[in-house]
Amino acid sequence: MIWAIYFAIASLLAIGIYGVITKKNLMKIFISISIMETGVNLMLIAIGYIPGGTAPIENGDFTTYVDPLPQALVLTAIVIGVSVLALALVMVINYYEKNKTLEYRRLMKW
Amino acid sequence: MVIHPVLLIAIPLLFAFLMPLLKRAKAVTIIILLFNTLLAILMFHNVYNNGPLYEIIAFSPPIGIYLYVDNIAALLAVMINLLAFINFLSVEKVEIKFAMLYLLAVASSTGIVITGDIFNMFVFFEIAAVSSYALVAWKRDKEALEGAIKYMVLGSIASVLMLVGIAFLYSEFRSLNIYDIMNRMDEGSVLILLSFAFLLTGIGVEAEIFPLNGWVPDAYQGAAGSIASLLSFGPSKAGIYAIARLLMIFSWQQSYDLALSVGIMTLLIGELAAFRQENVKRMLAYSSIGQMGLILISLSMLDSTDYAIIAFFFLLVSHAASKGALFLLSERKGFGSNASKYAGIVSVMSLIGMPPMAGFWGKWYIIMGAMQMEAWWIIAAIVFSSVVEAAYFARYLSTTMQEEEHASIIAAYPPAIMATLTLLLGILPFIYKIATIGGVING
Amino acid sequence: MRRMAGIVLAALLFACIMYAFTFVKTYDYNSSDYYYTDPIEGGKVNETVTGHYIENTKNETGAINAVTAIVVEYRGFDTLGEVTVLFTASTGVSMLLYSLHQRRKRREANLILKEGSKIVLPFILLTGAYIFIHGHLTPGGGFPGGSVIASGFLLMMVAYPKYFLKESRVSITESVAGMIFVLIGMLGLVFASYFLENFLSLGDVGRLFSAGIIPIIYIAIGFKVGAELSGIMNNLKGVEE
Repeated sequence: MIWAIYFAIASLLAIGIYGVITKKNLMKIFISISIMETGVNLMLIAIGYIPGGTAPIENGDFTTYVDPLPQALVLTAIVIGVSVLALALVMVINYYEKNKTLEYRRLMKW
Repeated sequence: MVIHPVLLIAIPLLFAFLMPLLKRAKAVTIIILLFNTLLAILMFHNVYNNGPLYEIIAFSPPIGIYLYVDNIAALLAVMINLLAFINFLSVEKVEIKFAMLYLLAVASSTGIVITGDIFNMFVFFEIAAVSSYALVAWKRDKEALEGAIKYMVLGSIASVLMLVGIAFLYSEFRSLNIYDIMNRMDEGSVLILLSFAFLLTGIGVEAEIFPLNGWVPDAYQGAAGSIASLLSFGPSKAGIYAIARLLMIFSWQQSYDLALSVGIMTLLIGELAAFRQENVKRMLAYSSIGQMGLILISLSMLDSTDYAIIAFFFLLVSHAASKGALFLLSERKGFGSNASKYAGIVSVMSLIGMPPMAGFWGKWYIIMGAMQMEAWWIIAAIVFSSVVEAAYFARYLSTTMQEEEHASIIAAYPPAIMATLTLLLGILPFIYKIATIGGVING
Repeated sequence: MRRMAGIVLAALLFACIMYAFTFVKTYDYNSSDYYYTDPIEGGKVNETVTGHYIENTKNETGAINAVTAIVVEYRGFDTLGEVTVLFTASTGVSMLLYSLHQRRKRREANLILKEGSKIVLPFILLTGAYIFIHGHLTPGGGFPGGSVIASGFLLMMVAYPKYFLKESRVSITESVAGMIFVLIGMLGLVFASYFLENFLSLGDVGRLFSAGIIPIIYIAIGFKVGAELSGIMNNLKGVEE
């Protein structure tokens, strides 16, 4: 079961990196980055999973909890992802105003 | 006297939050940066006399987070804040939002240097990165936007890769504290080596090392001079110091070898690419890449020779100060006034590695280290890159010396002060040595 | 060429990650393999980090929700950084959109959306406030609560083309909430011994007024996140005529 999730994580990251490299449209590039971020968030959660554990809210009925630390980290990672995405969208708007296109060809140029 | 390193981060954050209410952006920023510099100097004094300084935040580590300030971290904190202060003086028209982003970038670079927790380091990296994206785009023209977008795409990939590395490291040790992990690390399993590779690639984007450093020339070309200067002494230097801390955790031969090969590649590619450039800022940016490669080489020798840490320190500080000065000068066509001429020549000499500048001592000690290790090909690479460097910097000086400059006199002083720092640092080791022999300063 | 590079790199990343996952062990937070060492003193301690959180959350922080306790108390410094990232992004957004003035005309929304959103708005704001006030007792907290509040304003912006938030009010809320967070941290330095350490009484665990500084910080975060996200959307919508 956990291997299905591991497979999903690796696929999300691979799809994301493929999108960033092959796409020229800026919106698609940033969507690919969001996909990668989803993958890594899922990965943190999967690493914190303990078989049979419940959510770490202590009501007294349960004895096994999942690891709460990765969940706190994911909360941070999600907010950071959102912030970067917001700034990225604004840059894309500005880029469109200047160039009247969303094509971005300089990414792979070194 | 009790020094709280956390204030180095908390006070700039507080005033960055309050900036929209305070309005007087320039005065407030200058006061905060000056205060921070003084605090950092006090902190260095304290660390120098009493050994490493801890600052627990909320709970004792590894349950909570703590800041760990050793000698080099304290010196870097002084360097970042001092250079940020000098650099800010050169900005003529300060908008509120510019000042906010500037303070945040400086505070987060300091945070990366002094934190002792790997996820906390990631968070500071993100603050530094997001504020740098916005600052690079500050001019809002085509070049600035293109540079900022490229930086942003690579930076976002970097943050994902860093998180992957952190997640694997966490899965092995179930702790995020750097020193806790270091104490428990016994042998290098494949998982840990992979997590080191992910972390190195992720941090490498900020530290301008191979392979994800394609953003460097574009972003530096698009950014204003003072911001390019900030990027070269702030986030990138903090990034390379973060790699130094990582190498303390992952201290086996494989990771040092990885760092060495990446460093040599970065050095050669950066210097050769710089040689081909026409645009001044692009040339300086590629030269920065080369210098970062050199610094990484010095780090990769940490385990084998004692010279490495001295070389690391000299290379880092001299590159920060002299590149900062050159980026500030690059705003203008040439060096008209004597102050700018002095700044340009001293900085270039330090970067090439001529005595008695700080850069000379950096290259000297790294070559001494390589000789001790009998790694002749490292010496060959360094000498070759120095020759290339000398060639393109000679061309740079010969064109800029003739042009007249069209800038106010006040703007010429910050680069001159930065250049004086490299000069002083190059001479000071003798003073230290003399003082030690005379028994005045111990340590 | 580009497609080939993409496929190769994606396959490489996929393979690396899957290979690394084969070494990931199932975690047991009572196992002695994961006992941590004290980075300051150096000795081995007979508990794991996770075990410490699960055992001691209630009596050390007064919160029932261990994730909240970690986010606000144990690793509160990360959260300060996280709030700062969002703040930085919103500053960058308003700075970059400052120069763009002309906007497309938007069509009026229909009657149901217009009237409905007016009725729903107070309830959305109330739900958001409920979520961040109860952060130490239930799942949720400042970030989800703030996002819910921002979604209320987003609804208003969708329904009314001429609806704009006052830029100055948004930025004052942001500033004051951020200031409260940092000042509470500094008060910890003054009244207790560490930055961000709890200096209030923990109260009756499980009640609304408990857990010391956690609810205060979460309320500040809720306001800050709500203001920042609505500010970002406000800026993305355009500049008021």
